[in-house]
Amino acid sequence: MSRHFDAIVVGAGPAGSTAAYTLAKKGFKVLLLERGRVVGSKNIFGGRVYSRPLEEIYPNLKEAPIQRWVVKERLSLIHVESNISLDYECRDGRSFICYLSELASWMAKQAEDAGSTVVTEITVDSLVQKNGFVKGVKVGDEVVEADAVIDCEGVNRLLLEKAGLAEELRTDQVALGVKETLKLGSAEIESRFGLGEKEGLSWIMLGDVTEGLPGGAFLYTNSAAISLGLVLMLNTAKALNEHVSRLLERLRLSPFLSRYLKDSSIVEYSAHLIPEASSVMLSRPYSDGLLVAGDAAGYLLNLGYTYRGVDFAAYSGYLAAQAFEKAHAQGDFSKKGLECYGKMLKESFVLKQMLKFKGIHNLLNDRTLFSEYPRMLSNLARELFSFDYETPTLIEALKRSKKNISWLKLLLDGFKVIRSI
Amino acid sequence: MDIVVCIKWVPNTTSVNIDQKTGTLIRSGVPSVINPHDLHALEIALTLKDRFGGSVTAITMAPPSAKLGLEHAIGMGCDRAILLTDMVYAGADTLATSYTLAKTISKLKFDLILVGQETVDSSTAHIGAQVASWLHIPYLYYVVDVNYLGDGKIWAKRLLEDAYEEYELTLPALLAAAMHSTHPRRVKLSYKLRCKSEQIIEVWSNKTLGLEANCVGLKGSPTIVRKTSFVPEVPRKKIVCKPKDVEQAAEWLIKRLIEERLLKI
Repeated sequence: MSRHFDAIVVGAGPAGSTAAYTLAKKGFKVLLLERGRVVGSKNIFGGRVYSRPLEEIYPNLKEAPIQRWVVKERLSLIHVESNISLDYECRDGRSFICYLSELASWMAKQAEDAGSTVVTEITVDSLVQKNGFVKGVKVGDEVVEADAVIDCEGVNRLLLEKAGLAEELRTDQVALGVKETLKLGSAEIESRFGLGEKEGLSWIMLGDVTEGLPGGAFLYTNSAAISLGLVLMLNTAKALNEHVSRLLERLRLSPFLSRYLKDSSIVEYSAHLIPEASSVMLSRPYSDGLLVAGDAAGYLLNLGYTYRGVDFAAYSGYLAAQAFEKAHAQGDFSKKGLECYGKMLKESFVLKQMLKFKGIHNLLNDRTLFSEYPRMLSNLARELFSFDYETPTLIEALKRSKKNISWLKLLLDGFKVIRSI
Repeated sequence: MDIVVCIKWVPNTTSVNIDQKTGTLIRSGVPSVINPHDLHALEIALTLKDRFGGSVTAITMAPPSAKLGLEHAIGMGCDRAILLTDMVYAGADTLATSYTLAKTISKLKFDLILVGQETVDSSTAHIGAQVASWLHIPYLYYVVDVNYLGDGKIWAKRLLEDAYEEYELTLPALLAAAMHSTHPRRVKLSYKLRCKSEQIIEVWSNKTLGLEANCVGLKGSPTIVRKTSFVPEVPRKKIVCKPKDVEQAAEWLIKRLIEERLLKI
């Protein structure tokens, strides 16, 4: 039996499966390795996927296990028991809510149907290198070789670290995402959130939900379940003096959410690391005989009001496959032959977006933004809407609610926000 | 030594719920796994093969989705895997199941049969004993260690609650592996690849076995579940103590226990 493949893809998440699918469709002999018992069992995310980039890759995306299309966006600033929300409704959904385990499994099925060999329960122990050139992977005491390896191992990039191709992650570079899946009838979801059939809500909450720490909370409506979760920068999460699950529990029971979630039951609890800082991004996501895509390369964007990861991951996997094809045509899998991957990424929305929002990480690490401003805006709203005799002018209300924030700081922070997003 | 291992494809009991009205397991949407106890049977079988040569065949009677479990068995190192699947086998109790398994095994070359000590979904631990009875061979449960003595004889050690017993058995025989008796090995990539490239899993229907329809599946099952009753749910008080230290916690707990009249001082 031949132990040589054209390409070995490590990790059957959105990046890996897409790379394998794209390569197999082009006729390459691909081995896709996944450490989970079944594909998708190790994949976790908040809940929303932007569909356009995926439609470009998967013409049959409509058949994917989509829960609901997002028609409603809500951004809330939460302070104590009041909140300010911005609602946006649009019937023409560009993103959908799903379970990543199901979507990843669907993608791997596409890869398998296209001709890839998909093997689960296999943890790759290391990349096999000869004079710095990646020649294959090592699993236990076995070695499988390939012209190139596409590493889509995810945020915890142990293979890259072991091979000396990436630094160990620091706590200020990643966030911790925790999530509860709450079972709730679809009729309840639709009436409580004002949604139609197949229509979904994406709700991002900032402020007291993280006790004023940098991060945020999210709520997505599935068909018959709610995904509710928190994202906390890992270095600041240390400031919490209790388990993060408690914070999530408090959020679930908080007065402004509990009426939406009444009678729901927890069916799943999950947690995952999220690459946050632009410094997680590999400056060169390729090497001799190696391409890196998805979270492992650091392609995930948290803008505070929305998260993008799956489309970036899948698209980078798609580009990695194209780069492989080009390198194959030239018979050159060296750094130089795979250079085109870097170029394609730069020209794609993935890297353009990542670079455009490079400064966002600093902003999202700013504590005042998550504690002072929700408080200020909530006070402002109270001044404006909730009075007994005298209606204040806007400037009076602002003056009273900003308290110890100086006008200059307000101006500078406002500028900072506008510049970063 | 040629060994047959019977495995069961069970719903992952950590995520299974029971329908309170009908008393049956809600299996839909619940991922299945190899019955964890059977992994020890596989490990014992494969260790024997490593030491004394021969072959290991894994068999299961299950819906087609159990192919995934047999792929795992092949991945661990089994030489053959047979999936018994046919609509006429559905709804079988232990009698019909053991009959079907025994009839399958009798078509194979075997010296030893291994099973898990019980299953996690129904705990019907007697399938092994029934299979052995159909085949008129001796059986031994809760086995933790096996050795081949030559001359068609094996030595086996079994774990009782507070003792070990050692036996000598003449082959063919059936052994049921005790839970936690081994560390089941990880799957090997090359074995799993063999699984993918050679379509190694054999699917047998009743066409292959040709068993009397009255002896298999629901028709061949005299067992009837008359009633399922549930342990009454005790409403919990859901009180959380947030003590400063252990002493305070202990004090608080003792006080509550006395209040509840669970403790007398």
